[in-house]
Amino acid sequence: MTHTRWLVVFALSAAAGLAAGADDAIEWRHRATQGAVTLTANPLGVASRTAFYAARGFSATTIRPYAQACGFSFGMQNGGSATLATRLADWHAVGKDGRRIALRLPQAWDATWQKADVPQAARIAFRWAQFQAENFFEPGDWIMGMATLEASPSGPFRLVARYRDNKGNHEIVLDELACAHD
Amino acid sequence: MTERRRFIFAGAGLALLACAPSLRAQGRGMTAIPVVPPAPTLRLPDSDGKTVDLAQYKGRVVLVNFWATWCPPCRKEFPSLGRVKKLFKPAEFEVLAVNVGEDPDTVFSFAGHTEFPVLFDRDSKAMAAWPVKGLPTTLLIDRQGRIAFRAVGGREFDDPEIVAAIKQLLKS
Repeated sequence: MTHTRWLVVFALSAAAGLAAGADDAIEWRHRATQGAVTLTANPLGVASRTAFYAARGFSATTIRPYAQACGFSFGMQNGGSATLATRLADWHAVGKDGRRIALRLPQAWDATWQKADVPQAARIAFRWAQFQAENFFEPGDWIMGMATLEASPSGPFRLVARYRDNKGNHEIVLDELACAHD
Repeated sequence: MTERRRFIFAGAGLALLACAPSLRAQGRGMTAIPVVPPAPTLRLPDSDGKTVDLAQYKGRVVLVNFWATWCPPCRKEFPSLGRVKKLFKPAEFEVLAVNVGEDPDTVFSFAGHTEFPVLFDRDSKAMAAWPVKGLPTTLLIDRQGRIAFRAVGGREFDDPEIVAAIKQLLKS
């Protein structure tokens, strides 16, 4: 195995150990529950995303706009008995000043990577590391992935996430989110 | 960036993706697919470069798991693929772990030697034909080669609910 790959082994091992926490649970900073639906979020800083995507094959220069955007790792879980559907295009942030900010869809970033001739393996990893633009959750399903806002709110904000089930459209809100600053 | 610095950042990067107050997030069970459609083609190289075809397992129940080493719930559930494999006879059940977009060295660094085939969908083209909307996604294929159950998000595959679903398919 090459020297570089040994470094990847150690990096992944260290990261798995640090990220595991008690009982290998994923640790979320923000959480909201509505009925049987749970939405969670962790702010993501520049350094962590630069590191993650560098390991996937992005250059630091290419990934910079993504790494510098206000971004989060989101998790969503369906603990109920109905199928849920979400579209990232229906989510938005609301600042203290009432300003609404949309989320940037994964395909918009992918278009940027295509123009920048990002290697295919890196683009594939990026695509599947995102919170998908459309999701269907059967009972028991859950998904996690990264996403960014189209612009950075000036301070704390709410994240309004919309989903629908057999009873109609719903909102679940995460309060007091803030972009990471590192 | 020097290799040493890249190593430090890579480790910190993955850790920072999942740092905060602890909450368990692991799904339970798999959802039955009412239409039971035929499974798409899945014909990919394994870690030895040998081509493995899902069609060669017709007559057996097959658990097809789409995953990547950088995906935290994929990593968490991976050991349970080996555990569920051991619960059944090789002639009746198999696990196929389809890695998306990565190379064998990277995969081996995480998984080591496995009791089941790890297949490589380097360009994710094979996966495009499957009902996969995120990683991990796992499908249970019945003995007639049809998609019978699906799970999105991490699971423990030796969970009694999933073992019962496999046993149900073995009887049909």
